[in-house]
Amino acid sequence: MGEMARVLECSGLHKSYGERKAVDGVGFHIDLGETYGLLGPNGAGKTTTISMICGLLTRDAGEVTVAGEPIDVGQIHAKQWIGYVPQDLAIYPDLTAEENLMFFGRLYGLSGKALKSRAEAVLEVTGLIDRRGDKTEEYSGGMKRRLNIGIGLLHEPRLLMLDEPTVGVDPQSRNAILDSVERLSGEGMAVLYTTHYMEEAERLCNRVGIIDQGKIMAEGTRRELVELIGERDRVRVVAEGNLDAAVSAVRLVEGVESANRSEGGFDILTGDARVILPALLRAIADAGGVVKGVDVVEPDLEAVFLHLTGKALRD
Amino acid sequence: MRSVFTIAAKDLRQRIRDRSAIIMGVIAPFALAAVFSLLLPSDQSFHTDYGVVDLDNGVVSSILTSQVLPGVAEAGFADITEIENRAAAAEQVENGDLGAVFFIPEGFSEAISSGSDATITIIGNVDSALSTQIAEAIASGYAEEINAVSLSVAAALGGFTTVQPGAIADLSSRAATFEPSILVEESAADSKQMSDKTFYSASMAIMFLFFTAQFGILSLLSERRLGTLPRLVAAPIGPWTIVIGKALTGFVLGAVAMLVLILASTLLLGAEWGNPIGVGLLALGGVISATGVSAMAATMAKTEEQASGWNAVLAMSLAILGGTFFSLDRAPEFVSKLSLVTPHAWFLRGLDELAATSGTVVDALPAVGVMVAIGVVTGGIGLLRARGLVVGK
Repeated sequence: MGEMARVLECSGLHKSYGERKAVDGVGFHIDLGETYGLLGPNGAGKTTTISMICGLLTRDAGEVTVAGEPIDVGQIHAKQWIGYVPQDLAIYPDLTAEENLMFFGRLYGLSGKALKSRAEAVLEVTGLIDRRGDKTEEYSGGMKRRLNIGIGLLHEPRLLMLDEPTVGVDPQSRNAILDSVERLSGEGMAVLYTTHYMEEAERLCNRVGIIDQGKIMAEGTRRELVELIGERDRVRVVAEGNLDAAVSAVRLVEGVESANRSEGGFDILTGDARVILPALLRAIADAGGVVKGVDVVEPDLEAVFLHLTGKALRD
Repeated sequence: MRSVFTIAAKDLRQRIRDRSAIIMGVIAPFALAAVFSLLLPSDQSFHTDYGVVDLDNGVVSSILTSQVLPGVAEAGFADITEIENRAAAAEQVENGDLGAVFFIPEGFSEAISSGSDATITIIGNVDSALSTQIAEAIASGYAEEINAVSLSVAAALGGFTTVQPGAIADLSSRAATFEPSILVEESAADSKQMSDKTFYSASMAIMFLFFTAQFGILSLLSERRLGTLPRLVAAPIGPWTIVIGKALTGFVLGAVAMLVLILASTLLLGAEWGNPIGVGLLALGGVISATGVSAMAATMAKTEEQASGWNAVLAMSLAILGGTFFSLDRAPEFVSKLSLVTPHAWFLRGLDELAATSGTVVDALPAVGVMVAIGVVTGGIGLLRARGLVVGK
């Protein structure tokens, strides 16, 4: 992707509290329409990183540009390109949803009809249009979460930064949040998403940075990360017919590293199951086997994290 | 600048909505001023009843009964009643019918003329300490006059120790016809004193101003608790915009509360604040100082509760030291001087200057200047510290 599409570029971010290094040389970039995930356990340095990128926190070293403009505590112009959704709810309970939106909209330079129209659109998207005049202290947890994210979208930012937006959220609201992020990314928004939930990172993110103890240990697509640690996909085929001939045929398919008979079928080890699956099924059929079922087990980011750090994500 | 007003407008809406600022800024001070005005009557309306028991009926005692006490009655602050004996007098005092009684024993005049000790007894009402104190002051003044005349007469008669009562009266009246060589003229000096209603209204207004103005910077700590502070900082506005927006909230709340109190106490309590321009400048100075001091106090704390506590301690200490509860007229000199570190003392002093018959706006300007200076210094420290709260380290 060219430079024109680069929305966020950060490099060499450092932040220490006394002797403790909270962030130690973090750097990555996000392009237009891309969702980048910072995956790591609590205390890994995700929120500190995101706070430095947003200009909430002074940094010891490092550079951040958003839409080509530098950003820091004192460099505020580029902040207009960012929609920030903090980890904790950041809404005023004694104001209505509409008042919250109007207030934050004004801080981002919106006014008049444009502000009203954007507030209306966000209320519609978040499903709060009918409760717009109620104080948010009367809202359910899910409604508050939706408004919390809606405020970040109000000024149509180029980069949406979501800091663990699903922590403490019920499954239904969580799913709604993930759907929204997928939709926004599909519409071309760049998204920085921090989480310690492996499934969220796998579902949403085009690229993932695995962060632990203030350092990005590895970065790439899920596939790249898995390959990085040498993990392989396992394909379990349940079949009938001439299984011995079928196993021999499977071993000849390009990309298959090993194939062994098991009860009711065979197990195959491969670099990328999705790529070879059509050829695999064709080879079994040609050898006289009848496929009854296929189960693909791909190594996940949990396994990658475990491999890189020696501990589980939820440790 | 637009964002400063946006933040201040949002905060004002919240404060008005939860009514905290209205209660602290207007209702509480007005109610207290009204209560003080009702409970503590003005000195100017003081009136009491005195009794006098004259068992002597001599020349010297008649000076008290025929000249001094009628003069007191003419001045309008006491009625005088003659009583036959001490027992009846004591009973009336005990019943509360009389504030105090002057008791002149038999042989009083003779004792004075013979140079012996003579005593006037004041029978005081324990429930009317002020009446008793004034009666004692009248009796002491009378005794000093008699002692002085006795001394003069003794000297005039060549050192005789026994003075005839007639001589005292005679010499006294003859002395009265002489023109004194030095005249001490009592001028109608400016009283420089607010009426009680004005004093209570002003003192409660300045005291509670320090509670009202705190709502500005204090809300930074509320924003931190609510989690909205990071969202404010993430917006394309500088840290100073947030801090100044908060300070503006405190200033506006203080100014509006002060204005409402001045109008309400004038219309409903009959307070007379003085020259409107002078009062306006003093109120402005008071609001600036309160905003500054409360900003400094709020930023010394880590939580809202802690900040409110600090501010309450500071506001009450400054109010007491500044003479909002008790007049500093009778305080030791060092306390009076120490009170000048408080905006409260300067505010009340400025209003006293305006209350003087020849008081002008110019007379109030020093007080305004000191209050603004206090506000600028403490507010500068407070705002710098507040910026530190906004920008994460």
